[in-house]
Amino acid sequence: MQSEGLLPGFRFGGKEPLVVAGLSPSRLAMRRLRHNVVALAFGGMFLVVAALCFMAPLYARYVAHTGPNDNHVMETIVIGGHRVDVVSPIGIPIGPTWHSRFFFGADFNGRDLAVRLLYGGRNSLVIGFSATAITIVCALVIALLAGYYRGWVDIVLTRFLDLLWAYPAVLLGVAIGTSLVLGGLSIGPLHVSGNSLYVPAVIIGFVNIPYVAKPIRGEVLLLREREFVDAARVLGLNPLRIIFSEILPNLSSTIIVFVPLMIANSILLEAGLSYLGAGVQPPNASWGTMISSGVEYITSSPYLVLVPGITLIVAVLGINVFGDGLRDALDPRAAISKAH
Amino acid sequence: MANNRKKWASLAAVLCTSAMAITAISVGSANASASRTGKSAVVNGGTATVDMPGYPNSLDPQEGYTLNAGEADWIVYTPLLTYVHKSGLAGTQIIPGLATALPVVTDNGTTYTLTLRKGLEYSNGAAVVASDFKFAVERALKLNWGASSFLLVIQGAAAYQSGHASTLTGITTDDATGRITIKLTSSYGAFDNVLCFPALSPVPQTTPMTVQTTHLPPGVGAYVIENIVPDVSFDLVKNPLFAKFHIPGIPLGHLNEIEVSVDSNSVSAAEAVLDNQVDAFDVTGNIPPSLLGTVESRASSRFAKVIVASTDYFFLNESMPPFNNEQARIAVSYAVDRNALARLGGGFTVPDCYFVPVGIPGHPTSPCPYPSPNLAKAKALVKAAHLVGTKVSVYGWSQSPGEAQVEYYASVLTNIGFKVDLKIINPSIYWSTIGNVKTGAQTGIAGQFLDFPNPGDFFLLLDARNIHPVNSDNFGNVDDPHLQATIESLEKVPASQLASVAKQWAALSVYAAQKVLAYTWGSSQLPEFLSNRIDFKTAVFQPLFMDDWSSWELNS
Repeated sequence: MQSEGLLPGFRFGGKEPLVVAGLSPSRLAMRRLRHNVVALAFGGMFLVVAALCFMAPLYARYVAHTGPNDNHVMETIVIGGHRVDVVSPIGIPIGPTWHSRFFFGADFNGRDLAVRLLYGGRNSLVIGFSATAITIVCALVIALLAGYYRGWVDIVLTRFLDLLWAYPAVLLGVAIGTSLVLGGLSIGPLHVSGNSLYVPAVIIGFVNIPYVAKPIRGEVLLLREREFVDAARVLGLNPLRIIFSEILPNLSSTIIVFVPLMIANSILLEAGLSYLGAGVQPPNASWGTMISSGVEYITSSPYLVLVPGITLIVAVLGINVFGDGLRDALDPRAAISKAH
Repeated sequence: MANNRKKWASLAAVLCTSAMAITAISVGSANASASRTGKSAVVNGGTATVDMPGYPNSLDPQEGYTLNAGEADWIVYTPLLTYVHKSGLAGTQIIPGLATALPVVTDNGTTYTLTLRKGLEYSNGAAVVASDFKFAVERALKLNWGASSFLLVIQGAAAYQSGHASTLTGITTDDATGRITIKLTSSYGAFDNVLCFPALSPVPQTTPMTVQTTHLPPGVGAYVIENIVPDVSFDLVKNPLFAKFHIPGIPLGHLNEIEVSVDSNSVSAAEAVLDNQVDAFDVTGNIPPSLLGTVESRASSRFAKVIVASTDYFFLNESMPPFNNEQARIAVSYAVDRNALARLGGGFTVPDCYFVPVGIPGHPTSPCPYPSPNLAKAKALVKAAHLVGTKVSVYGWSQSPGEAQVEYYASVLTNIGFKVDLKIINPSIYWSTIGNVKTGAQTGIAGQFLDFPNPGDFFLLLDARNIHPVNSDNFGNVDDPHLQATIESLEKVPASQLASVAKQWAALSVYAAQKVLAYTWGSSQLPEFLSNRIDFKTAVFQPLFMDDWSSWELNS
């Protein structure tokens, strides 16, 4: 029985045969990634934030004993033996208590900031992931069709991307978001209300399409000229089969690199749109809306901006650095010494 | 490894920089220098500066309608009648302005006769004639001035505004004698108040029938508006001609110049006045709650919260479920805590449950009909009316403190069993959105500052005659027969006899509160906040036009 990767009968100067472990590109990439401690640490940091956010209902129910939209304007709590207003008579909310209730303090409506931070994070992440999925799927379809068929299909689709690209993403997002706040989004029989999380997800997913579709289209243009694609054509495979069985698998590493970067980008864009009032709609929280509504109170209650702001930085930095590491790992020209 | 260290260092740098930047902003406000409260004799002349949160909708007298437009236009364009330049209730008294006396009212309150003072000149030296008044009214109608609906009571006004008549038939003038006769379609007791709007002050008949932004028509007033940079700034400069007219009750102004600039950042605007870098924080701005404590403690001698006759309320659309059901409206009244809404108003709201506010004849003194908060009672009412789970669209604007108040309101409606769809929209499109019947707004935040000191001005918002397909003022589509009949009867009583029907207006206010035709929760207070350069004691806070800039004097 011969082990995998052993070169049969090959000898170096009469010594025992050299055994070389032949690894697949994905295993090589994983090995490189495992050695990139910084990327893994930041990836872990993002996962911790994400896990905490997805446990928001547990925290709200068993620790804070309040929901994300529950107002406590006229309530008081006991801190250090003293009864304190959750919101003062002139509208200043309580600061961090470091207790189970109002751990990070309250917002101007007397809502528990820690609970809203976690629910807001969950909303931001759901939008980030959903928007990325929309972007990747739409961008892939456009890039595959435009790159493979070329000709008028390419011209029409590329001009559409150019048109989309011509508008600054935030401006386009604000324009679409503002117009959808009132009436919601109707696509055929499907209706999404104006304050649904899917509205900002669709907007962000839509405005990000050119940023992914353009480079992938370029790669498809190169791949369609490769020998294995010619061979598939000669074998009589139809274009759709060639696209999905020959070209798409070869785009996987590019897509994998795009995913974390687009998630980070989508979370940031969501925060920006929500800050400008065109993203997540009240009373739902997101990190962007929390920062936006806290700005007015920054002199008296800086934690209203600092807490969601720092969490946003940690989450985006985490997934961005991890994404960089993933790109390095998937790059076949990366330093061999790192891999072995 | 070095690479890793760089990345950790970058992270630390990003976090530290963010924290330091935000801390620096916080510390900046805390380091604001202490105010001087010393007081000495006042001097004439000089210049004062004002920070406004937004530019007036227009400075053109026949187009300006917002509070900040009124502040400027009131002392530039004097109408035939005007209000006394005094603070508080005294400031609601009507006195002759460019007219020689109060109007003579005849024909069962449908004919008003006035006479223009002799020898009046505009700020450019041109003579004022009686027909200029008619031209001003025609111009206000043609420019669709924000309150032009008040003018439609004049005979022929509707036909003139719609283009079906070439002149306004209800006003006749005699330039030789200065006599002005106004005929109304029906008696309207508040018409004296309508004549006090700066929009009805005469302007030369050479003024274009289009809104003027930088080349305003000349007026007759203590000041002239100059150096206009639209949306940025304008100056009020003393009108040297005004002194020779000797109009009793209208001050000539002490300052030579008032420089008004727009500063949309309420924090920096309030800090500038606190530090005496700017002389006035305009009343139309909100002092942020974060600064209120500092302002109250460090500038107590030059800061006051002044209650203004205003009504803050949530309209309840009575033309559709669930608020076409009186039990649902009563449930709202039980559930909402007015003190919570006042607290969210940053200490600038005074809780109240009556539609006619404090300071206006017709404000009841009886306790509120539905003591609140009583969530259990409210939930029981909603359940008994089989309205649990009914969808309710709640409208609010994206501006503090209204946004926080409407979020609280939405949470209360959710608590008592409604399925709330909260819609927070830009303030610039808010009124047209909720005033459009097609929007189908079921409830939302609204408010009314007095146009004139008459209960009829507030009940306009519950008057069925103000239900229109677009730009409706009756947002709740209230069409109550008893309310309507009483309004139409009481509104005929002249402003001078208002006290005689105050009890009837008060009874109507109680009726509206019992039926919860709108959920009223309070009146607003506005900030009167000046630098220590201006004599705070003599500064007038007029109940209709707010900061009376013509009363300001500099401390020596």
